Amino acid sequence: MIVESFFGSFGGRYVPEVLRTPLDELETAFREAMEDETFKNEFARLCKNYIGRPTPLLFAENATEKLGGSRIYIKLEGLANTGAHKINNAIGQALLAKRLGKKRIIAETGAGQHGIATAAVCAKLGLECRVYMGEVDIKRQHPNVFWMELYGAEVVPVGSGSRTLKDAVNEALRDWAGSFPDTHYLLGSALGPSPYPDMVREFQSVIGKETEKQIAGMEVEALVACVGGGSNAIGFFYPFIDKPFPRLIGVEAGGRGSLIGDNACRMDGTGKIGIVQGYKSLFLMDDDGQLQATHSISAGLDYPGIGPQLAGLGKKGRIEFKKASDTEALDALRFFARNEGIIFALESAHAGAEAIKMAHNGDPEKALIVNMSGRGDKDIFISAMALAPRDWILFLKEEMKIYEG
Amino acid sequence: MKGKLMAHLVASYPNYDSSLAIVEALVRGGATMIEIQFPFSDPTADGPVIQDACRRALDGGFRVDDGFRLVKEAALLAPVFIMSYGNIVFSRGIEDFVAASKDAGALGLIIADLTPGYDGGLYRAGRSAGMEIIPVVVPTVTDKRLEEITSIHPAYIYAAMRVGITGKRTDFGKESIAFLGRLATTGARILAGFGISSGEQVALLGDAAYSPVVGSAFVREIAKGGDYLERITALTAGLVSG
Repeated sequence: MIVESFFGSFGGRYVPEVLRTPLDELETAFREAMEDETFKNEFARLCKNYIGRPTPLLFAENATEKLGGSRIYIKLEGLANTGAHKINNAIGQALLAKRLGKKRIIAETGAGQHGIATAAVCAKLGLECRVYMGEVDIKRQHPNVFWMELYGAEVVPVGSGSRTLKDAVNEALRDWAGSFPDTHYLLGSALGPSPYPDMVREFQSVIGKETEKQIAGMEVEALVACVGGGSNAIGFFYPFIDKPFPRLIGVEAGGRGSLIGDNACRMDGTGKIGIVQGYKSLFLMDDDGQLQATHSISAGLDYPGIGPQLAGLGKKGRIEFKKASDTEALDALRFFARNEGIIFALESAHAGAEAIKMAHNGDPEKALIVNMSGRGDKDIFISAMALAPRDWILFLKEEMKIYEG
Repeated sequence: MKGKLMAHLVASYPNYDSSLAIVEALVRGGATMIEIQFPFSDPTADGPVIQDACRRALDGGFRVDDGFRLVKEAALLAPVFIMSYGNIVFSRGIEDFVAASKDAGALGLIIADLTPGYDGGLYRAGRSAGMEIIPVVVPTVTDKRLEEITSIHPAYIYAAMRVGITGKRTDFGKESIAFLGRLATTGARILAGFGISSGEQVALLGDAAYSPVVGSAFVREIAKGGDYLERITALTAGLVSG
């Protein structure tokens, strides 16, 4: 069934009454589109010619040799147009929006990757685009604001709540409650009210389907992906969730410590069952149900909830959840840059960090497949400051001198 | 004759004691029912005015128990309805929340994101405890959906007079009256809200609905600071006298 809506006890469509109509309409359109060969061919055509699919699966030979354990393979989603997996879903939903006759797209973004993908796709398909982004995220990801605007999108700062990704989602929901007759809300993660978790997973499952072909004949120990909301993870894992093997490993943001507010780990027992932003899942919140602050060096993992299907698969034990700290993610970033000539996005570097840990003690006959959901160019202001602060600050000062000249 | 008016406030905004004084000011001005919103960190159905009030109440340390304490005191002055979001109810435990509302003397609950069919058991809990659960209906509602909602026989229906979120002014036209006409056939008492801030609007709705609901207009007045209690009483009096 393409729209499951509930995954165990998680999921659902807990929204204000006004959003029922557009969600019902969206579900119907999505079901019909997925039965329509013309729609599927158009999606496949854009995946190939615009996104650059299939993305390669690279054998990380040097890394494997250095670690002396399991063979590491990297699924290079970062080579997709706009630099991350986010565009798979953006294309799918934008085509659906056109099918529904919508002229305008709204989206939320945290790190900016989903915003960039959406803005690019809207430019490509001739749709008006507005992206909501928390003021805190705008400050730490300014280059992405520039790119979104270059694609012709309007970027609207969100000053409410914690001024990060969750607040951008709230603002997009508020916009949609008044604008749905001509507007589609292009949600970027596999969460929110049904049918979003099913729809986003379906469009992202292109990652897992390609991987399944690329690993045919290999003995695979595990698939490893980072988990913020979880769109890259569920898309990557999807073809394998009903099979007993390989192990599926989701890596959450361990941040800078184990206290509330210092990380974004929901699946280590800290997350409580709640109903937020239209879906039932595990959230970081207090006893009253107020959402708590989160922290991660990667803006894309800095979110207090987790997609309902991942939460359900975690509860069932099919997906194992681990965590990687800010420092471990930075170490992984450096390790794969030096040894493989590949720069992971900080989000994906969390998966890289777990693969490093696992490979050490792993069986040399077996493979670990890491999803590099995005590439790390976008993170230069954060990575350079963390890894080479003196040179970076000097550079920034010199730049300022030129302009203040 | 003075009409009915449901006046809304955010619990513990700007602080607990003031919110109790606000209830008194509203009742003094002629409010006949009070809607107390329990702040939630992520109020997706609310516009900037109420969002900001909720944020400030939470920054000031609002706890759900404070909300029930306020309801208990307010219920001595006027019939009280509690408005909030699903996660606040769910985190407490739906049955516990309904029981605590009942103990505090509330008449009904308006939970924005728990709607009939996706209510997590709220309507069942309300029925068995004798607590009114009030569904929200919007102008775009289909006949089929309206039937689903009326099949649970709600004593009250909250009519959002336009799509969107709270706080923006609503222009009433023939369509609004036609919408209320559709709802009148349900037999429920209609509480009409969203974007209502003038005596003219209140008078218009007073004829077509059981009671108009005014929210953001009061919160906006409080946010201006100064002697807002007097201004709220005056505003309420102006609204109910048309």
